[in-house]
Amino acid sequence: MAGTGVVETATEQPEQWASRILASAAPLLAAVKRPTVTVESPMNGDVEALQDAVSRVQQLLTSPSADFSHDLLNLIGAIRGYAEMLYEDIELLHPALKSALPALLSAVESSQATLDLSASALSAAKMEAPGVILAVDDMPENRELISRLLSRAGHTVISAVSGEEALELLDTRGVDVVLLDLMMPGIGGAEVLKVMKENPALRATPVIMISGRQDMDQIIACIQAGADDYLLKPFNPVLLQARITSGIERKRWHDREEDYRLQLERNERFIRSTFGRYLSDEIVAQLLENPEGLEMGGDLREVTIMMSDICGFTSLAEHLPPPQVVSLLNRYFEHMTDIIFSHQGTIDEFLGDAILAVFGAPHRLDNDPERAVRCALTMRDAMEAVNEANEAAGLPALQHRIALNTGSVIAGNIGSEQRAKYGCVGHAMNVASRIETHTMPNEILISDATRAQLPDHLFELGEPREMVAKGIEESILVYPVVGLQP
Amino acid sequence: MTQSTVTLLLVEDNEVNRDMLVRRLQRAGYHVLTAGDGETALNIMRQTSPQVVLMDMNLPIKDGWTASREAQLEPRLQAIPIIALTAHAMEEDKARALEAGCCDYATKPVDFPELLTKIAAHHDADS
Repeated sequence: MAGTGVVETATEQPEQWASRILASAAPLLAAVKRPTVTVESPMNGDVEALQDAVSRVQQLLTSPSADFSHDLLNLIGAIRGYAEMLYEDIELLHPALKSALPALLSAVESSQATLDLSASALSAAKMEAPGVILAVDDMPENRELISRLLSRAGHTVISAVSGEEALELLDTRGVDVVLLDLMMPGIGGAEVLKVMKENPALRATPVIMISGRQDMDQIIACIQAGADDYLLKPFNPVLLQARITSGIERKRWHDREEDYRLQLERNERFIRSTFGRYLSDEIVAQLLENPEGLEMGGDLREVTIMMSDICGFTSLAEHLPPPQVVSLLNRYFEHMTDIIFSHQGTIDEFLGDAILAVFGAPHRLDNDPERAVRCALTMRDAMEAVNEANEAAGLPALQHRIALNTGSVIAGNIGSEQRAKYGCVGHAMNVASRIETHTMPNEILISDATRAQLPDHLFELGEPREMVAKGIEESILVYPVVGLQP
Repeated sequence: MTQSTVTLLLVEDNEVNRDMLVRRLQRAGYHVLTAGDGETALNIMRQTSPQVVLMDMNLPIKDGWTASREAQLEPRLQAIPIIALTAHAMEEDKARALEAGCCDYATKPVDFPELLTKIAAHHDADS
C-alpha cells in the first residue's frame, strides 16, 4: 500500500486509485521532462498544471484531508481534463506521450467509476448515521480488524499507532468516536483520555477503551475519568458496532445541542442589535429571558409617556451650518438617552429634536410614573452639563421642555416582518404631545393622570393650570414639577 | 457561431478544477470569468452579464442553490442561463438545482464534449 502507512482510510479504494494514477502519471511526466521532448506553448502551461495536480494527489496521500474521497475525486477530475487536453494536442507530436496518456486516462476513468460508486454507497449509508472513527492501537492487526469491521458499516476509520499521533489527529480532524487502546508504548490510553477531557473542544467526543481482560482495574479508572464505554479483546464484532453506533448518537446529540446553543446566541445578538437602540440593557436582558414578547402585534397597557423637545430648535438650526446642528443634536441625545435608559425608560422614537419615550413598556414596573418624573428632573439638571460642552465648542446653549402623561396605549412591535420597531400608539400619546406644546422652556409639565399615581409628598409641584387642547374634548389639568420635596 | 464573443462565468471553489476548466473552455474559444463562491458569482453576474454561468453547487459563503435562487429574484440576472455542476453520485442535487432555477445541469466529473454541447445550446438559445 502506498502512502506512509500511518493513516489508513476505511475505504481503501480511493487510496489504491490514487496510487495507480500516480503510477500511470509517472512515465508521462518523465517523458515530458526528457530534453528531447520540447513542449510548446500553449501546452506548456497544461503540462505544468497536470504536474501540479499529480503532486497534489501525492500530498493528499501523505497527509489525508478530512474529506479524502471528495478531494481526490476533484483532483482526478482535473487530471482527466488536463490529460484530455494534452492528448488532443500532443498525440501526433510525441509518440512517447501518446502511449502514456491513454494509460493515465484509463486509470482516471476507472477510478472515477469506482469512486463514484463508493461515494453513492457512502451517501446511502449516511442515513444510518455513519461517523468518523479514530482507532488508536499500536498493533497493526487490531487497527486492520477495526477498520474492516467498521468500514463495512459505512464508517470512515482513521487510525493512529500511538497516543502522540492520536492527539495530533484529534487536533486536526473531526472525529465522532475514539476507540482507544489502553496499553501502548509512550503516551498510553489513560493519558490520551486525560488530555482529551482537559480540552474543551474534545471533551464531548465519546471514548471507548479497548483492553485485555487483565486490565479491568485500569478500565474502571478510565471510566471514572470520563471514558464512555469499554471493549475487551478479542472484540465481539456485534458489540463493537453497537458501542460505536451509540457513541456516534451521543456525539450527534451533543453536536445538535451545540448548534442549538449557537442558534440561541445568534437570536440573542439579533435582539440586542435590534432593540439596543431603544431599550435599556436591563429591559433587553428581560426580553432575552422572555423572547415570546417579541412577536408582532401588541397589548393594551398603562404607561407613562414622555415627550421632550428643544425650544426653538428649528430656527436655531436654520442659522447654523449642518455639521454643527448634528453635533448639537448628538450631544443632547447622547446625554438624554443615557438618562432615560438609566431610569429604565424605552425610547420609542427620536423625531427631529424631540424624544418620545415610555415608562412601563415592554415591561411594567410598580413605579413607572415616579421613575418618569425622576428621569425628567435628571434630564433638566443635565442641561447644565450639555450647555457647558456646547459653549466650550462655540455652540449656542439649548433649552428644552418635557411633558408627561399616563394612560393606556397599545404597545408592541409595529410594522412589517422586514422592518418592525417597538412602539406605542393610542390617545394618551396624543395627549402627551399636546401637553408638550403648552410647556414653557426648562419646564416639566405632568398631567393629572400622572400626578394621581405619584407617591404623596415626594415631588414638589407648582400651581395646576387648566389646558384646552385641540382634538381633546375635555380640558385637562397639568402641573409643573418644581423638584423633589425638600 | 461567434464563440470568441461569448463570455462564460465559471463558479467553482476547487482551484485545480477551476484552472483546468478555464483552460479547456478558453481553448474551446470562450472568454471565461471565474468566481470561487456564490456571493462573488452574483456580483460578477451583476457587473458583466455573462451569457452562460457554469456553477458548482457546493460552494463556500453562499452555495450554488442559494445563489441561483437569488439570481431568479433579480430581473437582470433572471435571464442568464445557469448550468449546475453537480457531483455524479448525488441524484437529488440535480433536482434541487433545477428547482433553484438552474436551466440545466452537468455532472462532475465533467464530460467535456457534453458540457460544450450544453453551453452552446444555452447561449444559442439566448441570442
